[in-house]
Amino acid sequence: MEPNLLCFILSTLFGLALTSFNQHLHNGTRHYNYCVLGAGPAGLQMGFFLSKANRDYIILERNSGPGSFFNKYPRHRKLISINKIHTGRWNREFNLRHDWNSLLSDNPDLLFRKVSGEFYPPADAFPLYLSTFVRELGLKVQYGVDVGRVRSVQSAAGRSYILTDQHAADYSCSVLLVATGLWVPQEVEFAGSDLVEGYESISTNPDDYKGQAVLILGKGNSAFETAQSILGRASRVHMLSSSPVRLAWQTHYVGDLRAVNNELLDTYQLKSLDGLVEAHLEDIVIAKQEERGRRRSGGKKGETRAKLFLGLQKFRQAGDERNTSDVSPEELPGHHIDNFPLRRPYDRVIRCLGFRFNFSIFDSSARPPHSHNAKGRLPGVTAWYEGKNTPGLFLLGTASHSRDYRGSAGGFVHGFRYTARAVHRLLEHRYHGNPWPSTRLMTTQLTSWILKRVGEASGPYQMFEVLGDVILLQGSHCEYIEEFLLQALPRFASLSGHEVSSHGLIVVVMQYGKKKIDYLGRGRAETDWTKAWKSNFLHPVLYYYDSLPTEQDMKMRPHGWPLPRPKAIHHMVEDFLTEWDGPLSHIQPLRRFLEHCVQTDLRAFSAETCFRSALTHRRSQLSCQQGYLNQRGVQRYGQLTRGVYEAGLVPAEQVSAGTSTGASPAFPNYLAPAGASVSSGLKLDL
Amino acid sequence: MWACVAFVLLWIRSAGCTEKANMSKRIEYTAADFYERLLSGKMMFLYFEQQVSPTISLFLVELEKSAEALQDYGVLVGKVSCQKEPIQTYCAEAKQQHTAFLFRGGREFTSFSLDTVFDVNSIVAEVLFAILGDEVKYVHTDADLLAMEKAAKGKKDIVLSYVRSLGTEEHRALMETAYVYGSKYQFILITGGPVLKQLRVNESPQLSRVWFLHCRVHSTSLTPVTPVTSERCPLTQMRKALSTLNLHTFLQLLEAPLVSDVYVDPSSVPPPQSPYQLTPQVFLFSHPATVHLDLDTATTLAWRLRGLAMLLLVHRQSPAVKTPEKYNAAYRLPEKSSEVKYLTLHSLDDVLELFTKQEEEEEEEDHVDEEEDSHLGELDDEVAAAVHKNRGHFQDMDSVTQLTSDNFHAEVAQSSLTVALFYLKWDAVSMHFLSSFIEVAERLEDSQVDDVHMCVVDCGEWTDLCAAQPGSAVPFRPIAAFPSVLLIRPQQSAQHYRGMLTGEALHCFIMMSRMASPVPLSTEEEVTSFLQEAPHPDLATYRPDRILGLIRTASQPGLSVFTEAAKSLRGEVLTGLLTDGLVEKWAAEYAADPPAVLLFPSWRNPTVRPSLLLVDSSSKELLARIYSALLPPVVCGYLSVLPLQDLFLYNRLAFKGQKTVFVGTALQKQT
Repeated sequence: MEPNLLCFILSTLFGLALTSFNQHLHNGTRHYNYCVLGAGPAGLQMGFFLSKANRDYIILERNSGPGSFFNKYPRHRKLISINKIHTGRWNREFNLRHDWNSLLSDNPDLLFRKVSGEFYPPADAFPLYLSTFVRELGLKVQYGVDVGRVRSVQSAAGRSYILTDQHAADYSCSVLLVATGLWVPQEVEFAGSDLVEGYESISTNPDDYKGQAVLILGKGNSAFETAQSILGRASRVHMLSSSPVRLAWQTHYVGDLRAVNNELLDTYQLKSLDGLVEAHLEDIVIAKQEERGRRRSGGKKGETRAKLFLGLQKFRQAGDERNTSDVSPEELPGHHIDNFPLRRPYDRVIRCLGFRFNFSIFDSSARPPHSHNAKGRLPGVTAWYEGKNTPGLFLLGTASHSRDYRGSAGGFVHGFRYTARAVHRLLEHRYHGNPWPSTRLMTTQLTSWILKRVGEASGPYQMFEVLGDVILLQGSHCEYIEEFLLQALPRFASLSGHEVSSHGLIVVVMQYGKKKIDYLGRGRAETDWTKAWKSNFLHPVLYYYDSLPTEQDMKMRPHGWPLPRPKAIHHMVEDFLTEWDGPLSHIQPLRRFLEHCVQTDLRAFSAETCFRSALTHRRSQLSCQQGYLNQRGVQRYGQLTRGVYEAGLVPAEQVSAGTSTGASPAFPNYLAPAGASVSSGLKLDL
Repeated sequence: MWACVAFVLLWIRSAGCTEKANMSKRIEYTAADFYERLLSGKMMFLYFEQQVSPTISLFLVELEKSAEALQDYGVLVGKVSCQKEPIQTYCAEAKQQHTAFLFRGGREFTSFSLDTVFDVNSIVAEVLFAILGDEVKYVHTDADLLAMEKAAKGKKDIVLSYVRSLGTEEHRALMETAYVYGSKYQFILITGGPVLKQLRVNESPQLSRVWFLHCRVHSTSLTPVTPVTSERCPLTQMRKALSTLNLHTFLQLLEAPLVSDVYVDPSSVPPPQSPYQLTPQVFLFSHPATVHLDLDTATTLAWRLRGLAMLLLVHRQSPAVKTPEKYNAAYRLPEKSSEVKYLTLHSLDDVLELFTKQEEEEEEEDHVDEEEDSHLGELDDEVAAAVHKNRGHFQDMDSVTQLTSDNFHAEVAQSSLTVALFYLKWDAVSMHFLSSFIEVAERLEDSQVDDVHMCVVDCGEWTDLCAAQPGSAVPFRPIAAFPSVLLIRPQQSAQHYRGMLTGEALHCFIMMSRMASPVPLSTEEEVTSFLQEAPHPDLATYRPDRILGLIRTASQPGLSVFTEAAKSLRGEVLTGLLTDGLVEKWAAEYAADPPAVLLFPSWRNPTVRPSLLLVDSSSKELLARIYSALLPPVVCGYLSVLPLQDLFLYNRLAFKGQKTVFVGTALQKQT
């Protein structure tokens, strides 16, 4: 009751604050409960949820249309986000697993497929889709508002954010949702960095690279995309960055090099004059020199073009502050190391290092800190995407990617559409007292429901290891809460408005195996359910806790785990078709795990069996209680397999097989046999 | 006297105990013992213990165990401690430490390296092998085997065995059998290689096997299996695993007559007696006209079934044979049930297949059992197991309409009553009920009930339809329990079916639901027919509960309460509403003060006075009271004879009515 009351007070105060603000529009300041900064995919996604909940909101956009980033990027105009239209299924939730561009809405037809049917759609289709989204849902977007300054003010009514646009008009917001994306090109300072062209401004006409030797800085998708477009024209394409190339199909991270862009790997390994090199960009020197003693054979009208040489900081003469465009031959690495890989000069050096968050518009009172990962390019956020030190300011979309950088899909449309939904649910609870939506289920229905979710749910599938379903066990019933933010689990009660009972909770997470294996090699897939914990591909994992893990537990969790060590864990064996509905391999082990968690027999029984057990036991099996004794018995079916019921005692190994614990606990015996008191000899410490 | 018996028993017990405790002592012999027994010419298997190392102590444990086993074969097993009793001949050399000795006829017969006698099985096998000497022969090549066969022809049958490795349990089983049957059969041991190839065994890994070579019988005419031309003996392979018991049974079975004649019906032939009790029986029928031909057929088949089954020839001329003419064969399997199964055969292979197949199945089962836990691959949920077992059969969904998010509204608008089953493919109860649901749909179709539209919704696929949020256009709340059956009528909110998940109950519910609820009754005839006639010929055997509403005018508030209650009772209980004129008459007759309800529970004779309930202020309360009033009273002893169906009903009412049931109330049920 306490938190509810608190919520109520908070929301009343909040409401009061809002009305008082709305009444006084001082100095032309307009007040909104919610301001969304940026009309990109994340901003519009949040806009939809706010509009659906009838909240007072505005989306501010500096350009004249939504998703302006995509008017320019990717430079070569092909999106590499999958737009798989033909899945062979009608399940709309399932189909979203294979639709990486659509935003969430209640309109089942408002999908990206409406604007493009291509598997890798053209970039122009995206702003088109976004404007359709805005139009059809009637979202409130104000274009042409270029917010140059964001500051926070503390008043008696609470904290609010003041946004100032290019016309010095102010917008006051109780909650600020920053969805500005990443669009400031990331640069690295080194001697000669001014000689480098940027991805944002290079020519996309391959003919401009005819016969040229090109050095590309970076090994991400933009770098490879650029390399791929000029492969047929350039004489040499070398790629340089500090770390070796990471292949998305090996790391399962969509931000790593996608196979669609990796033609250069082929030409490199098939000895075709292209190549990859590793070096710290901070250590390099780019120097301009006229090529001496040679004339370019193809030079038109006697035009000579300066060549760019790659040097290393360590070979530069100490204290040398000369212009980088003039380097003596002694300072070039080729002079010292005669087989230095990049000793040949280049015609162009192109920087393709990605983008960073624009921190500059934030006043110190409202500026989120730099993230610890991603080279500080992203703002640091809490597990629920609120800026650290900036309560009421949330980060959405690509800018919120620091939580799962190089992990999950939080930096991409198909991932952040779900985290935006989670943030919205949190806002609904925090400011309006609406608890997270949940489904109340009979415990006997839990197995089926989990199977339904793991079979279709798109949120936990895309945002694997970041979003997970939380099941609050409450005896004969349970509360099913979809897509909670796993990292925020210690604060579950205060963020969601649901209480955890003494029966504990189960968290359903999708996970890849943690072992690095040969992803195309033999034995990459585990098919034996008794070894489900060895699964390598994406598979559901259930964590059972008897009480909420604490912040400390979360901090001390094993490396690479999304959650702390649970009381019991269950892996559902990976499935080639990602359909987890095999009676023997998936359903029965899952049911046994749940039986262990809820300490109840969850099997279904025929009316005859229920009848028998009703006469011989003080308390009947749960499925009989909720079924047969509630007049919903099941008819016995031909000859049921002999004595399944009698074969109640099952060896412990099989029950715990999916459970990764060495010491197999003396588990259900058959669990709480009807009427018997629950045995407490159950210890599943991992 | 009893004291005596008790004493004797006690003495035996204690003796037994000491016997066990002294086991290790018992196999230890002194030098004197040794010489004495040696002189008596007894067979002894002895080990002379010089120093005890871990390996030796392990061997000693095994030696001890084998003492008992070899006792049956008249072999004394023991050890002599060299430290206590230094016997010159055997305690002097260090290499004797790794040797055990067999004494026979007063002298050292042979010695074994401890590498070959390492456990009970190997000790027993090796010792017996040594003792049997010539009775068990080794054969290395096919030529040797042929020579043996020639020698044995007409004299002895041959038991040929291949043991995967020596010193195993299988080896021991063979030797033990050879000890017993050694004089009767010639035992041959082969070690693989060319002989195995000749026997056409090429599976790998090779398992230990036994063949029986029929060399004793002269008549080659009886052996249709192997080409008659060859000088080789026809052979029968033992199909079961090599163990003493199986081998014994197999040899016994081969001794049994090939074909026995019977003159009674197969069903009255007793199951085979020991030692054949585990053997199936096959019956063939013989006509007087074709008796020779039948016997030939039977013999041919018998040869092929040797070692597998026993063949009995039933003579049809006997009046005791009752088997219909259409059957020409029958069989009875051991264990499973002693029931005789009849069949019509077209070729002998059918029978053979029957047994070999069954054997394979058995083998498979055995195989699974052997693998540590046989439960691994089994479903322990009876419903899931039943559905899983039936997985090969695809449901014929022609008689039901599949509802989707796209066609839902159009389909539902088509008919006055849509019955929709919401199911999940992976939910066993759903799939189990789906087949019943389809049966009901077919049944309705057959009885030309065309105002009910039977539909199914696959909620694994149409998740947005099943989870449609309140406020959207569907007439139901999100479905969170599977299976769910909803009765949907245009422009009304859906009604949940809460009955038994059986076709029968659902059918009944649907048929009852087709009746209006309440049924307006304006004449006495209508009332009589309402109270006494079945609502539909299909429900003739079913006696529903009936309720009559006595409510004066349409304006009375009781009317809405009653109609609302009637609406929720639709399908379960027949409700009628008397119109104005009749109300007064019935009210006077039953001394009721309208608004009131008259109940005619199914368990009570309809001519008996109905119970009377006053209409409450809320339909919920009224419903609760109706449910509890419809409960049949229960007494002790009634439960045990209560038919299952009644108990369902009873439970249903008990739970709905929230009424505490006092067992012991007088039984009012009609007799």
